[in-house]
Amino acid sequence: MPRAPPREKRLSPFALVNNRGIYSWLFSFYAPIGIGVVVLYTLIIVVAVLVYRRRKVPNRVHEAHRLELSYVVVLICMATGLLYLTYTAEHKVDDAQAYERPALSIDVTGARWEWLFHYPRYRITNESGAVGRQPLVVPVNEPIAFHISSDDVIHSFWIPEIRFKRDAMPHHTETVDLTFSRRGTFSGSCAEFCGLLHADMVFTVHVLSDSAFRTWAASGGKAAPWRTAS
Amino acid sequence: MIGSLTSTDHKRIALNLGLMSLFYFVLGGCFALMIRTQLAVPGGTFLSDQKYNEIFTMHGSTMIYLFVTPMSLALALYLVPLQIGARAVAAPRVALTGFWMWIFGGLIMQSGWLSTGGPGQDGWFSYAPLSSGTYTPGWGMDMWVLGVDLAALGMILIAVSVALTIARHRAPGMTTLRMPVFTWTALVSVLMVIAAFPMLVVVMSLLFIDRHGAHIFVNFQGSVDYQNLFWFFGHPVVYVMFFPYLGCAAEAVAANAHKRWFGYMAFVLSMMSFSVLSVSVWGHHMFVTGGVTNQYFAFTSTLLIVPAGIEYFDLIGTLLGGAIVMRTAMLFALGFFVQFLIGGASGIWTASPVLDYHAYGSYFVVAHFHYTLFAGSVFGFFAGVYHWFPKVTGARLREGLGKVHFVLLLIGTNATFFPQLILGYDGMPRRIANYPTHPGWQLLNDISSVGAGIIAVGVAVFLANLVVSLRRREAAGDDPWEGQTLEWWTTSPPPRFNFERPLPPITSYAPLLDLRERAAELAERAQEAQPRGAEV
Ligand code: HEM
Ligand SMILES: [Cu+2]
Ligand SMILES: [Cu+2]
Repeated sequence: MPRAPPREKRLSPFALVNNRGIYSWLFSFYAPIGIGVVVLYTLIIVVAVLVYRRRKVPNRVHEAHRLELSYVVVLICMATGLLYLTYTAEHKVDDAQAYERPALSIDVTGARWEWLFHYPRYRITNESGAVGRQPLVVPVNEPIAFHISSDDVIHSFWIPEIRFKRDAMPHHTETVDLTFSRRGTFSGSCAEFCGLLHADMVFTVHVLSDSAFRTWAASGGKAAPWRTAS
Repeated sequence: MIGSLTSTDHKRIALNLGLMSLFYFVLGGCFALMIRTQLAVPGGTFLSDQKYNEIFTMHGSTMIYLFVTPMSLALALYLVPLQIGARAVAAPRVALTGFWMWIFGGLIMQSGWLSTGGPGQDGWFSYAPLSSGTYTPGWGMDMWVLGVDLAALGMILIAVSVALTIARHRAPGMTTLRMPVFTWTALVSVLMVIAAFPMLVVVMSLLFIDRHGAHIFVNFQGSVDYQNLFWFFGHPVVYVMFFPYLGCAAEAVAANAHKRWFGYMAFVLSMMSFSVLSVSVWGHHMFVTGGVTNQYFAFTSTLLIVPAGIEYFDLIGTLLGGAIVMRTAMLFALGFFVQFLIGGASGIWTASPVLDYHAYGSYFVVAHFHYTLFAGSVFGFFAGVYHWFPKVTGARLREGLGKVHFVLLLIGTNATFFPQLILGYDGMPRRIANYPTHPGWQLLNDISSVGAGIIAVGVAVFLANLVVSLRRREAAGDDPWEGQTLEWWTTSPPPRFNFERPLPPITSYAPLLDLRERAAELAERAQEAQPRGAEV
């Protein structure tokens, strides 16, 4: 039996979903299975070719119904196993809102060609665009409700550090709960082609300790604690 | 010349379709080289952002609408009647009309290059509302929409002709369960074209109206609708771009192992389950929209393991106990199967929503579909070319050049696309004209760009091989590889009505192999009878 996805120890009582952790958990099954299948079949094919390369007379075997049927059963079991793992992980990620009550919420709006990060509670709005290159600032280990939307075409809000993205659709708000489990500075980008300067829709993510985040928020977004502390 | 362009001979139409598709392969390849030149360095300046967007869009669109898909149909249109012992296709004028519609579709799509606003520039699936008149004005984009529309209509007509041929013109004795492996792959492909392409025609027509004031695909629901409609076509088409090449590879393996394809019934069933599943998986392109039921589409998509797994079982069964000859066609066929493993495994990967939340829209996906389309289908295509070139032209391709071609393509393909798997995992989005300096990215992109150059050299060797082999012909004879199916019964190239001598009895999906096996049995029995008598 697979172990349950690990929980981050230092998470606040409300945070139940560590996005990066769940991805890694699923990765640890899919990657070895995938690589194993590719290597195994490649080996069988190469060896079969080398062994039967110089034969003069081929055999005439061209059916093996029993064997093939058992093999199909194995394949179905494999698909079932993979689906079980996927559903277990997806249930955690997608239903986070059902059991989390984030204190912090951030409105993320994609607009050609920048991101707006609006913190209603602190009346802060950061723009990722060419002018300010302002970052997304978040506290570590705390669930955050992101309200993702778009002002024009479809964009996709992607932060590789937490292995997650969600489309920003016009005139629609998607809400997802996400938790950052490591402090540091990361990058994010737009993952849905949105026209001319799609490549420029990159942004910086600062994941801060709780106190550093509070300092930043209290300063109305003026402080830059990531410069000093690290 | 004119006669050749208006001929109703299926072989002539198919050859014209194939040659034109091949031209688009080279054109799309030139676009690919421009993409890779731009991405060789971070912050590349070889192309402007606008030009880059046009180039990657036209690369993908040319490859899909004008090369791999029509080439599938060209192979089907040429080979199916020969394999089922038909004198001609049903409704040849329908096929000819389809060919011309596709020709104009392609020309119209490419004519966008003449507009000041540029040709199509929103990617090969041109999501709305980006592709609406508000965000992408200009007649270049209109031409893209109309071109795709017309090309799709044309391909439906060609598919109808092939499907009717299989329904009505099989030779006596050619039951559906005696149809050769390639014919089965062609049959499911044309049925999927008929089932799914009308949806593309509808979407493109709606998009055209939308662009001219109707505003159909607006807001959240409008953009989700566009995606649902598009991918209802868009996933089945990836199987149209796969099955006939699988058929090519399977026929090449069978001929070069001197055995009939293993597990025929299971193979046919797997084809059918593939095509049924393929119309129920489209939502796996939309996991990150929040607009579809991810669990359902993860379920159907992951189940694709089963029919895909059967293909490999049958391949291995064919190889075991064979008398294998490593001709170029065999090399490409094995390359197809082995490299498609990576395409398939990465496909099952992205079928898991949680993994796809990270992979979607990144270079991981670019690597995934090039491992299926390039490392897969294009290798299968070359297997087919080396296998059937003697039938089509009466001359053989040079084996030496063929092997050089194969080795270059093998190295180039993996050098180009393997690094992209890592880049995508590491966070590089697709469709970006520039990437920032990021540890490791430049090296991986450079390997990828060098790989693309190696592919280009490989393709040049192939084109040279075509020219050399046609100029200084090595006559092939009617059946150079001990073929197993009816096309090897007729002359090379086949006459206008395909068969001049009566067909052999059709006793299975490999009738010519049956003949040879029976002849061998008779000879053995005769030998057993003789020496005994001499001893006494
Ligand atoms: C010479 C070999 C090839 C190279 C080097 C190559 C390279 C690339 C690259 C780098 C991209 C990504 C562009 C971007 O996202 O910015 C791309 C996109 C694409 N390629 Fe290729 N490619 C090759 C052959 C093919 C073939 C044979 C096919 C089809 C059968 C194909 C189909 C596509 C498609 C559909 C896209 C997506 C376009 C889009 O995003 O709208 N490519 N190719
Ligand atoms: Cu974008
Ligand atoms: Cu799909």
